[in-house]
Amino acid sequence: MKTQISYGESHLPRYPLGMLDRVLSMGSRHSSMLLLVAVCIGVSVVGALVIRDLRAANQEAQKIYTGSVRGLQRIGELQFDAQETRRATLYALTTTDSNLQIDYADQTREADRRVRDGIDEYARKATVPEEKALADRLRRDWTAYLAVRDDVLASILEGSTQEAVHRDLAGGVPAFELVRQDLKEVKRVYGEEASRSQENLEASSRRSATRLAGILSFTFLLSTMAVWAIQRSQMLSRMQLARLQMEFVASVSHELRTPLAVIRSAADNIADGIVHTPEALVRYGNVLRHQSHSMTELVDQILLFASTEDRTTRPPLTTIQFDRILQAVLAHAHVLELDTTFNLELDIAPDLPPVLGDLTGITQILNNVVGNAIKYGGDGAPITLRAIATRPSSGSPGEIRIAVTDRGIGIDASELPHIFDPFYRSPRVHSAQIHGTGLGLAVAKRLAESMGGRLSVVSQLHRGSTFTLHLPLAKGAEAPVALATPQQSRLTHL
Amino acid sequence: MNRRLRTVRWLVLPCLLFVLMQEMNARADLWEGGPASANIGSVSEPLAVVVNRSNPVENLTSSELRNIFLGSRNYWPNGKRITIVMREPGDPSRKTVLHEVCAMSEDQFKNHFLHGLFTGEILVSPKILVSPTGMRKFVFNVPGAIGYLRLEDLDDSVKVIRIDELLPNDKGYKLKIQPQPGN
Repeated sequence: MKTQISYGESHLPRYPLGMLDRVLSMGSRHSSMLLLVAVCIGVSVVGALVIRDLRAANQEAQKIYTGSVRGLQRIGELQFDAQETRRATLYALTTTDSNLQIDYADQTREADRRVRDGIDEYARKATVPEEKALADRLRRDWTAYLAVRDDVLASILEGSTQEAVHRDLAGGVPAFELVRQDLKEVKRVYGEEASRSQENLEASSRRSATRLAGILSFTFLLSTMAVWAIQRSQMLSRMQLARLQMEFVASVSHELRTPLAVIRSAADNIADGIVHTPEALVRYGNVLRHQSHSMTELVDQILLFASTEDRTTRPPLTTIQFDRILQAVLAHAHVLELDTTFNLELDIAPDLPPVLGDLTGITQILNNVVGNAIKYGGDGAPITLRAIATRPSSGSPGEIRIAVTDRGIGIDASELPHIFDPFYRSPRVHSAQIHGTGLGLAVAKRLAESMGGRLSVVSQLHRGSTFTLHLPLAKGAEAPVALATPQQSRLTHL
Repeated sequence: MNRRLRTVRWLVLPCLLFVLMQEMNARADLWEGGPASANIGSVSEPLAVVVNRSNPVENLTSSELRNIFLGSRNYWPNGKRITIVMREPGDPSRKTVLHEVCAMSEDQFKNHFLHGLFTGEILVSPKILVSPTGMRKFVFNVPGAIGYLRLEDLDDSVKVIRIDELLPNDKGYKLKIQPQPGN
């Protein structure tokens, strides 16, 4: 009686993001690290963007502030110097000492020079047409005032105070009033420009704040998604492992229960006296021996897998002649021949060099691979065991390749990445009720790698599979011809 | 009353005659190669007569120069009022101008202007500047100003005019500062 327990996808929790789960499950082993790296890169990029944005906004604010302060200072100085020009001129009226008057004349001319420099600077920095026109007007009005100022100053120095006052009242006051109006206009225009700059700064600040909020939200979302994905990936990984373990337990239970049921039934029949003829007893004895052998093999497989869990310990490697490997494989094939029918063809190159490895491990690998070929190759289908050696080259050392080819059900391309996973069993195998633990290939792969070799597979669905064991040549061994003459020896087991 | 006026007149007239004679003697010394000219040695320094750069006048005769510095001429050809600028009393360049141009002593010069201002013949008294820089700046600021400067105090802010068609460095230029004792 066989019990088929299926732990398919129906046991997994239902989530709306099935495709995402499959992606996360596929990359569950590496996704955590990749996601962390992606999050770090994302956060770094976002941080750089934020810093750049803040720095740009800060520089813009500083520029506007500095420009405003310097602009106001410039206008203030211009107004002061203009007043100073006039004030010094009028001060000259307060004395009749020509030497003192000359000092005042110097002061007014010095202030006048500063005003002209200020007007030139204002004109240079004028950007809008209104400012340029204003600068031209200010220069014109200032020049007109200076003409009157010179006449007034000359009159003062000549000693014609009355004439100086008359000239100043008639021409100087109106001319200076124009200058004062111009300076007032300059201040007004500058104020409008400062207001526009302030509005731009506020808009820029708002944009920066919005951008910063968006970037922070994006970062938070990205981090949340990454954490969620990492947790989900780990959860899926654990769920997959649990599912595989449950399948393993179910499979092992099933594999144990079948021979146990046979053994118990045979024992009951013998104990109840149902079996009493010598022939029947012999037949029952063979059955008991075969079933116990199967159980032993299963337990050995599990123990072997457990022993390969620790990948840090490596078996002692020795130089092994290929004949010894072949003999071990053939001996196992003889045992398998008792239970099933298969046709093993050998295609061994002559004079194969010795390999470096562990004979027990190599035998176990090939037994597992040949056992799978028999199991999935179909009744009576031929199985080929081919062995060749490759020359050492600059890129790679020489190796012996032992390939086992069946012409059975083959493996789907989507399943190839998983067939070496522990406890993995194809859904097609489940449905076909082909028994197994899902440990054979995982054990074979680990053993091959522990000896410095590897196990590769090439398969085509419904056409068959080829598993190749690559073993390094022993030190000092020279590979003969790369592909030796085939059909050197051929054994056929029926 | 009339008697008192007559007494004052007899006192003032001799004084005026004395002043007039002193002035005539000075003129004679100046224009006839008298004692003043004899004092101008080879080490004397020329004194440039300067005007405002806007002044169109390029040359003055000695007579015109004297009339200007004595306040007898009040306007330039362009209509600008003439403003005389002089250094303070005691300055060598002032002494030179008084002696060489005005042919007067300091007191005569002062009296001349007091008399002119009192009678209205002279409109403005000379402006007194205590430094060559002040004089240069004054001439620069006043279109009708005329003054004098040593060559070392000249710059482009003022214009040097010819005297009798001669510039200060020309041979025969008469207006030179007399060497001071001890110099």
